[in-house]
Amino acid sequence: MTLLPYAHALLARQDLPIPEWLFAWGASIVLIVSFFALSVAWREPRFEEERWRPLGAGLSRALLGLPAQILCGAIGVFLLGVAVYAGLRGTEAPDRNFALTFVFVTVWLGFPVLSVLLGDVFRPFNPWRAIGRAVGGTFGALAGQRPAHLAYPEALGRWPAAIGLLAFVWLEVVYGPSGGVAVGLSPQTTAVAALAYSGYTLAMIALFGTEKWCERGEVFSVYFGMFAQLGAFGARDGRLGLRRPFSAATRWATVPGSAAVVIASIASTSFDGAQEGAFQGAIESVIDWFLDIGLGAVAAERVADTLFMLLCFGGVWLIYMLGVRGMASVGGAPSVQRLRSGFAHTLIPIALAYLVAHYFSLFVFQEQAQFTYLLSDPLGTASTDLFGTASGGIDFRILSANAIWYVQVGALVIGHVIALTLAHDRAVAYWGDYRQAARSQYWMLAVMVAFTCFGLYLLSVANG
Amino acid sequence: MLPLAHVSHWLWVLYLPPVLIVLGSIVRTTLAERRRRD
Repeated sequence: MTLLPYAHALLARQDLPIPEWLFAWGASIVLIVSFFALSVAWREPRFEEERWRPLGAGLSRALLGLPAQILCGAIGVFLLGVAVYAGLRGTEAPDRNFALTFVFVTVWLGFPVLSVLLGDVFRPFNPWRAIGRAVGGTFGALAGQRPAHLAYPEALGRWPAAIGLLAFVWLEVVYGPSGGVAVGLSPQTTAVAALAYSGYTLAMIALFGTEKWCERGEVFSVYFGMFAQLGAFGARDGRLGLRRPFSAATRWATVPGSAAVVIASIASTSFDGAQEGAFQGAIESVIDWFLDIGLGAVAAERVADTLFMLLCFGGVWLIYMLGVRGMASVGGAPSVQRLRSGFAHTLIPIALAYLVAHYFSLFVFQEQAQFTYLLSDPLGTASTDLFGTASGGIDFRILSANAIWYVQVGALVIGHVIALTLAHDRAVAYWGDYRQAARSQYWMLAVMVAFTCFGLYLLSVANG
Repeated sequence: MLPLAHVSHWLWVLYLPPVLIVLGSIVRTTLAERRRRD
């Protein structure tokens, strides 16, 4: 059996020009210099207006029209079906089964980056949305009326998606024993979880309507849609258009629970990075404690991991709230509640940076498997060679350990500088006076420096 | 011989100074501004 790599810890870095910890100092200096440059030169808000302008009508029709929607939806449903079938009928070896790499690497890690570059591309491929729309359309045609739905409780906002996001990552990194492979969950469990999630999602769609549930509660739509807010492409009233990058994000977090979604994203990535690195010793101590009080080995490990995952969520929330409380202490500040939702979008670039930094190497390695042997032999039983690539493999030499480290540092620095810029822009909009706005942003600078240093520390330990 | 076998466990300390410097500067600036206002 070919073992796939962990996300990290593959190769030791050699001959870095400075020690790893000094990169954290360098990154902090970049943030401080950016902060002062923004304080002096950025005097008007620039992201509050999208300045959306439509692209050609023909392009919009081709990409957003009904035939394209049907085709993309059918592809989404087909691929979900393949993943579930491979999980149920394929090999038990996680690294040879299409289901795991497809769900946890290709989709989960690929769509955030695709969404930033191309807009909300998951929306047309979303299999549950496609089924919901098809069933709703058929019902409408037969009954001669639109299906009636319950009013979605607006106070719930995006909380169902935030909890679902944590549950999804929990399934992958806590429930699934890693066992030395990239994703350690059993393919069967993945398939059963996908079926259960499909049942739950379709039930919610039936209750609240397809578009409402996809905007608020459907984990993947909300999660990938969040990253799409950073990009320049966006649709409006069925028309594709270009907007100022990052501008759409400024309105994204006005829905309750949005801050929880982005914090859950940062926290779950942090936990995955720290689980076998920075937190390893502490987690083992807690596991021992649970074993001592009589819990079974598997249960002790899962309970301890769950606690640390929740601790990560609480820690990231606390750092963010410290920043918010700090801002609230500056004269002329809006309410804490408004600040909390008003600055949550500034964390989206950090969530993306953490994602790229932690999973870049895993993605590059696993996608070689996805597009060679997993595509030709999805069940992993050596019974098919659909595209003649079943004997392909992963070339680990494609990335050096140093190259991975530089991508990680680069992603974290760029992500945090963008976050700082978004926060400064919002502060100028809230405070009006750019000097007072800059004063309020001392606190967000502290948040950004803390996240950067914490992120680099996690990566240095995981890679070391 | 210095007991350096576990020195790597303490490397995290080196990631703290930038955060502490920024936090310290913020507290100092805030206090100075408050004093000036009073």
